[in-house]
Amino acid sequence: MSDKPVAVLALFPSAQALMDAVPKVREKNLGTLQAYTPYPVHGLDKALGLKPSPLGIMVFAMGALGATLALLFEWWTSASDYPVRIGGKAFFSWQAFVPVMFEVTVLFAAFTAGLGMITLMNRLPWFGHPVLHTNAIKAITRDGFALAVEAVKGELDVEAATAALEEAGGAEVEVVFPCTEKIPPGPTLQVFKILAVAAGCAVAGITMYFAIKLFPVLPPMADMEEQVKAIPYESSACFEDGMAMRPPVDGTVARGMLPMGPVTEEASGSVLVNPLAATTEVLAEGRERYEALCIACHGPLGNGKMSLSKEYKATPANFHGATVKAYADGRLYYAISKGKNAMAAYAVDLTPEERWAVVHYIRALQRSQDAPEEDLP
Amino acid sequence: MSDRRSFPAALAVPALLGLAGMAATAFHFGAARFFANWIVWFLFLLTIGLGCLFIVALEHTVRSHWSVPIRRIPERMSGLAVWVAPLALVALFSLPVLYPWTQPEAAHDAMVAGKLGWLNIPFFSARTAVSLVLWGFCYALLCLGSMKQDASKDPAFTVKARKWAPLVLVIFGFTLTNAAFDWISSLEPLWYSDIFGVYVFAGTFLAGIAGTALGVAYLVKRGRLPGVTFDHVYNLGGFLFAFIVFWSYIAFAQYMLQWYANMPEEVFWYQKRIEGFWLVFVWVMAALHFVIPFLFLVSRRVKGSIRLLAPMAGLILAAHFLDLFWMVFPVLGEGVLPSWPEISFALFFVPAGLLWARRAMERGEDMPVGDPLLEKALAFKL
Repeated sequence: MSDKPVAVLALFPSAQALMDAVPKVREKNLGTLQAYTPYPVHGLDKALGLKPSPLGIMVFAMGALGATLALLFEWWTSASDYPVRIGGKAFFSWQAFVPVMFEVTVLFAAFTAGLGMITLMNRLPWFGHPVLHTNAIKAITRDGFALAVEAVKGELDVEAATAALEEAGGAEVEVVFPCTEKIPPGPTLQVFKILAVAAGCAVAGITMYFAIKLFPVLPPMADMEEQVKAIPYESSACFEDGMAMRPPVDGTVARGMLPMGPVTEEASGSVLVNPLAATTEVLAEGRERYEALCIACHGPLGNGKMSLSKEYKATPANFHGATVKAYADGRLYYAISKGKNAMAAYAVDLTPEERWAVVHYIRALQRSQDAPEEDLP
Repeated sequence: MSDRRSFPAALAVPALLGLAGMAATAFHFGAARFFANWIVWFLFLLTIGLGCLFIVALEHTVRSHWSVPIRRIPERMSGLAVWVAPLALVALFSLPVLYPWTQPEAAHDAMVAGKLGWLNIPFFSARTAVSLVLWGFCYALLCLGSMKQDASKDPAFTVKARKWAPLVLVIFGFTLTNAAFDWISSLEPLWYSDIFGVYVFAGTFLAGIAGTALGVAYLVKRGRLPGVTFDHVYNLGGFLFAFIVFWSYIAFAQYMLQWYANMPEEVFWYQKRIEGFWLVFVWVMAALHFVIPFLFLVSRRVKGSIRLLAPMAGLILAAHFLDLFWMVFPVLGEGVLPSWPEISFALFFVPAGLLWARRAMERGEDMPVGDPLLEKALAFKL
């Protein structure tokens, strides 16, 4: 580190005195002029001849970039990649996108302004600015206004600068040397750094732990969840039997669950009539149900010969036998609904329509194995 | 100066043509068309005047000194808030024509009937009268008082103005919001928007700044504002820039919430204003009120140079007119589009307004020479 002076600095009693002095020193053209003041002084930038900052253009460009990226992102998520209709609006609803575009624009612009100012304009982080070690610094942070003539490429005519500053009315002129006080060498700083990072991580980790632990158990809108109402299978003090659920009124019939009525097996053939026509759809549905439930015992052809039958030690009905062939539709329906011999009732598994569809399918199976002449092509 | 004499003569021809067109409008299209235009022009001139009054009161309240050298311009223009009194008087005759709540059917609509305690002709007229008196009081207090200070050089006025300006701001807030709800919003008494007063305020403040900027340009061109520099104009430009963004923010916020909720009781207001011809109108308005001025005013050079700022101010003033027109005119019904009546109203009111402004620009000194802050204000640097 050289001991060449970096600047000559003088104090002025007021902002006006500083403003008056700047042109006088500036015209001597001794080096870069820099002012240090306790508060921003109107018009100082112009007097010092500072170039307009490029930050404005950067902020504008980044803001425009932010708006564009936000719009593209919203178009991609809402209208292209995973379109979901919301509130009956178009997938690409620019009105709904504007707030996000606005926020992202502000975010990009603000970060550019903040980081740009710190890194580009103020050249931070910068340990130990030379002026911090002058005698003038105390006055600058209180009520003094300092003007410094700074070295250009390490060259500075100290005597000429001192004379110029004194001539302009500056007091307490002092020569500023580079910062000699170094960052503490050795492991101390490293230990401090590691400790600081560790402390930061610990704070972040603990905060995150409690955030994750607590947030899910804080219901955002408990009113919806905790209504005053009875829930099925819960107890309730309202009723004598202590149950929240009420049995239906006697004689209640649920939709689509109309019982068959008092029909005997013998009478069923003549009383129950298949309400469905044997259309392609009905037959397809009957086949689908048959192959799901009946096929295990009655077999794909309906002849009751299935590999399981032997193990089961039962003889499922053969639909092609004379007995079953003689049954009317109603009797088959009765057998499905109520069960027969070892066969269980299928009223729970099949709706009445499905049962009748299965009956149609059984008739189709019977005909397929015993087709009359006129069926042949 | 030759232009001083030829100016009124050149404007007399279009003004007379406009007057004839206005009379023809009433006969040919009926009273509703006439009054719709009348209200737009009344509100346009009123909002320029009130905007200027607001600037004067604001500058006193925040004790700014950059604005002292140009304060006389808004002080002069504030007179519009008083001079529109005859326009307001004529506008009151539009109540039975344009405003549905004056019709007998209003009592049968439960929603409107509930508002009739506020919306009725005597109370409405009384509110208008009280507002006009209050504006006159504020104008006399801040603006005429400042012009008196020119001769007396009495610093006591500056102290007094600083003390009373906050009250003027409060009066401004209540009366302007009331005027917005009364004159514009109650054209469709079923519609409601809480933000509407702020929306009209944003336009009003912009109109005030734009009017001030144009007045400054007029005087600077004639060399009557020596000492007004880049630094003073820059603040004016900054205001203009900030408040076009503010206006856009509020205008969009109001639109987006109603668009999103899509409630039939509020969305009809926008529906009739963004369909067909009016959709084009809205986009033109958005360009003039926001996009174009934003792109120009973002530059530091435009904000600080009165020669570059004045066209922007004119643009924004025109956009403010379109804004008011867009709020009022569609109540005439679907398919009623601007035509020669609107041109004749402009032919009359633009020259009349310019003549008024030209005369107003001769009131008092060009700068508040009696204000003790003037010297410091002239030395103002950014």
